[in-house]
Order: sequence, then structure tokens, then C-alpha cells
Amino acid sequence: MAIPDVKQKWSGRVNTVTIGATKAEGGTRGRTVTIGGETGIPFLSFDGETPHPPAIALDVLDKAPLDWPEPLREIYGDVWSDPAAWARRAKELGADLINLRLVSTHPEEGDRSPEEAADTVRAVLEAVDLPLVIWGCDVPAKDQRVMPKVAEAAQGENCLLGACTETEYRTLAAAAQAYRHKLIALAPCDINKQKQVNILISDTGFPLTDLVLYPTTASLGYGMEYVYSILERGRLAALAGDRLMAQPVILDVGYEAWRSKEARIGDEAAAAWGPLHVRGAAWEAVTAADLLQGGADLLILRHIKAVEVVRSLIRDLLAA
Amino acid sequence: MIIFGERINGMYRDVRTAIVERDKSVIQRLAKAQLDGGADVMDLNVGPAKGDAVEHFVWLAQTVHEITDKPLSLDSAKADLLVQVVPRVAEALPGTKLIINSCTAAPDYMAKLLPLAAKYGTSIIGLTMDQRGVPGNVEQRVECGAAFLMGAVEAGIPIEDIYIDPIILPVNVAHKQQVHSIEAIRQLALVNDPPPKFIIGLSNVSQKCLLNHLLNRTYLVMALAAGLDAAILDAADAELIEAMIAAEVLLGKQLYSDEFVKAWKMQKGLA
Repeated sequence: MAIPDVKQKWSGRVNTVTIGATKAEGGTRGRTVTIGGETGIPFLSFDGETPHPPAIALDVLDKAPLDWPEPLREIYGDVWSDPAAWARRAKELGADLINLRLVSTHPEEGDRSPEEAADTVRAVLEAVDLPLVIWGCDVPAKDQRVMPKVAEAAQGENCLLGACTETEYRTLAAAAQAYRHKLIALAPCDINKQKQVNILISDTGFPLTDLVLYPTTASLGYGMEYVYSILERGRLAALAGDRLMAQPVILDVGYEAWRSKEARIGDEAAAAWGPLHVRGAAWEAVTAADLLQGGADLLILRHIKAVEVVRSLIRDLLAA
Repeated sequence: MIIFGERINGMYRDVRTAIVERDKSVIQRLAKAQLDGGADVMDLNVGPAKGDAVEHFVWLAQTVHEITDKPLSLDSAKADLLVQVVPRVAEALPGTKLIINSCTAAPDYMAKLLPLAAKYGTSIIGLTMDQRGVPGNVEQRVECGAAFLMGAVEAGIPIEDIYIDPIILPVNVAHKQQVHSIEAIRQLALVNDPPPKFIIGLSNVSQKCLLNHLLNRTYLVMALAAGLDAAILDAADAELIEAMIAAEVLLGKQLYSDEFVKAWKMQKGLA
């Protein structure tokens, strides 16, 4: 029997978004990272092309994390009280981008001022020449004060700033537009809301082509199927020509995977699951591998072993 | 759905006069209203305007092309006229996609128009009728549609350039024919893979009816649910377009968002 031709003819494509700016482009980054541009289903080379392989950002927090388990402490414990040193470590480990979280601006996590947050951003920009993804502390009232300062401090560096939501988007969109950054549009696991958020952001005058979508993330075993189906539907809408849904996607894999009990419980309590220093990274890598198949363009990761596995997987899938 | 904006038709007195007097402003104003309403294709019909119909068509096409790069549908029931018009418009507007509107499944029509469409790379609309006239039932519509489709494919016209029009008759004149047309779409879509595109001349359904707008938008939604791909309609009828957008959302052809009408307009560059 002949194998049926399942090749699809798509009218749309995923937008490309470039993060970072070199000296020639008005920034100080050593290189830029471009994501998106796919013209077919993920990794089906007969269906369409993947001009830019999915990129990897490594997490850097602006204060020492209290809840990161031992396998991560082994990698970052000696630098994690200094974001600049931590960023250098992330670069050494092969990150394409630095994912900087300004958690210490949270009113209950140190309540650092917008000016202090801006200093942190400047220090990280000086320490490494990789493009930056920058998040606030997820408290809207505080982020509204912090993010404009941060955007200004990083002016011209073409960072990716997170995150706009259905109710909180005006301040961040204005700051991103004023200081020429890209934006993350967040709609937790709701594709219809995602489209609505994109419309609202676009209404402020911010270009749809400078957006990256964040449908939130779930790790293996914790509802990943929902996120996967959202990714799938979003990609199909983009390929069918829906320009409001044609943005590349960022996923926060490290954070979610290392929250799962499988990545945290010690060896005595879970002997049958194998040693924690293998288990945690494996959980992160497998979560990332699955979500790549759904259409992730930018993955935030934590463990070096997960980075290695995901890199080689992307290489193999794109070569196939 | 592909919207063919219908207002540029010599059946309307203002258009007829503008054609004869070569008054671009009237034509371009009407065309702009269709384009602003979301027309993807401009349907052009010189109607019974006095004078040289070929020259009228060329002038109309050039006049509308001055304000849009969108495809132009050359609308006439006269095959001999279209045979003269298509080469002239293709020469005058190279690079503009043309649609021959329309052919029938009658052998002499197909012999004239199908090679023309293949030669000039145009799309073509086939009516589900032949030398016997407009069918009074579903079966003959399907038979004519299938005959046209086969002829068009044999002539080398790519499937994406083939439209089938199951002929819409006014509800106040031809009772039950409206259901036959919809059923013909359903059946023709079912037996052809990949299917051709289905198109209707929507306003026919409500000709000389008092509540014509209500009939138009209701029938459009019914036909969309049966698999309609395109319609020749008044794109300036905002309620009609909104009903179409809602139907596309409900049929899963557009992703829902709270502002789905606006979303559709943004996609079209209209909002």
C-alpha cells in the first residue's frame, strides 16, 4: 500500500521575533536570538520549515532562592547571591539568553525598589553579553512601578519583558514601546483569552509582530496535556492564517518541573524513583521534550543536564 | 469566507450611468465601500450599459484596480463576451488575479471558457446548470456541478481555482430551491476530495423581498454551515458581515475571542 501524502498546505506562518541588540543595532549584546518563523507543524520537515531552532534561556534570580533543591544548588549555589555572577555562570553553561526574574521586588520577598531593580538589570547587562528576558514579581501594583524603570535601564537592548495580562498591559506595553523592547503576552491556559490579550495589547499601538505568547506551563504529570493542546491549537491557528495568534511561544519549564514532587523528594523517601540528581533533571528534560513537540520556541530551563538533552533533541529532530 | 463585493454592477442605474460617462469617482466610491466592508474580490458586471461591453469591462477593471490590488471577478452570462474580455483585462492588468464569473456545465460554454481560464491562469465559477436550464432539484445540480468540475480539472485548472455555484433563486419565486442549493453543496463537498470552492450569489435569494437583509444574512449562515467558501454579496451590509463572522467562529473556522468581530477586522487590516 502506498503511504498517503499527509503534507498540508498552510497559508500562515509563525512570526519571527528577535531578542537582543548588538552594538550595530544600538545595544551592547554580543549576539541576538531570533525565534519563530515556522511554516508547518513542529519538526515535520516535509510539512514546513523551522528557520530558527527553539532557543534556551537559563534562569537567574535577583536573590538567592530558598526553595531550589540540591541538584540546582550544586550548579548555582556558589553564585546565586550575586545575579551578575549567576548570569556569567549561565552563559558558561551554554544559555542562549538570560531569564532574569526580579523576585526581590515582591513586597514579601524583600520589596526592593524600582531603582534597585534597574541596578540589577544594568549589572547583568554588563556581566554578560547575552540577550535578556526580564520578569517582574507578578504583583501588578509593584510591577507597574518596577518595569518602566527596568525598561529604561535596558533601553536599546531589545529585551523581552514579561508579562502583559488581560487586565494589566497598558503600563508594560507603553514602557516596552518607549524603550524598544519585546513583550510577553500571558493568558493562562486559555487560547480565547490569549487572542483577546493580543487584541488589547495591539490596541495600545504595540505591534503584534513584537509579541511572544506565554500560555503558562505545566510539567509532566501536572496537567501538561492542557498546555500541549493550547500550543497545538495556537500553532494551527497561526498556520491557518490567524495573524492575531501568529506569535512564537515562551514556556517556563524549569520553574514548573522543579516544583513537582518527583524533582524534589529526597532519595530516602523515594528510593524506587531513582536518585534525585538524575530524577530532577530528567523530569525537566522530558517536560521540555514534550512541549517542544507542541510548538515551543523559547524554553526557560535550570539544570545543565536538561539543557544538554534538550539541545541534542532539537538537533536530532531538526536533522531528521 | 471569501467575500466578492457585488455593488459594481450595471444593473444599478448609478453604475450604468458612470460606465457610459466614464465617471471614475462613482465606481471608486462604491468599490471602496465594498473594500472597507471586507471584500476580498471585486465583482465587476457591466450589465446592460449601452456601448461596447468589452471596452466597458476593461475600463471598469482599470478603474477599480486603481484603488486596490485585490482580485477582480469578471461577471457576465455571455461566454462570447468573456472570451474577448479576459485577454484584454489580463493584458491591461498583469499580475492581477482574475475570476471568470461564470461558466455553465453546457458543453459549448465549457469548450469556450475552460481553455481560456487555463491559458490565463484565472479562477472560474461554474454554475450547476447546463443547456437544459436551471435544475429544479438537487440531483441535477449535483450532476451539473460534477460535470463542470471534471471538465475544469481535465482542462488543467488547479482545484483551488475552481468554484461551483449551485444557483440561488429568489425565495418569493422559487419555493424550496434554496434548500436544494444547500443540499447540492453538501453532496458535492462530500464526494470530491479535495473539494472545489463553493460560492453563491447571495442577494438573489431575497430579490424583491421586503426583508431582504434579514433573508440574506440568515441564508448566508445556513450555507456556511453546509460548507460554503465564498459569496457574492454586499460587503457594505455591516449586519450581514457580522453574521458571517459569528458563523465562522461558531463553525470553528476562526478562533473565538471576546472581540471576535474586531479580531476579524484586524486580520483584514480594517480595524
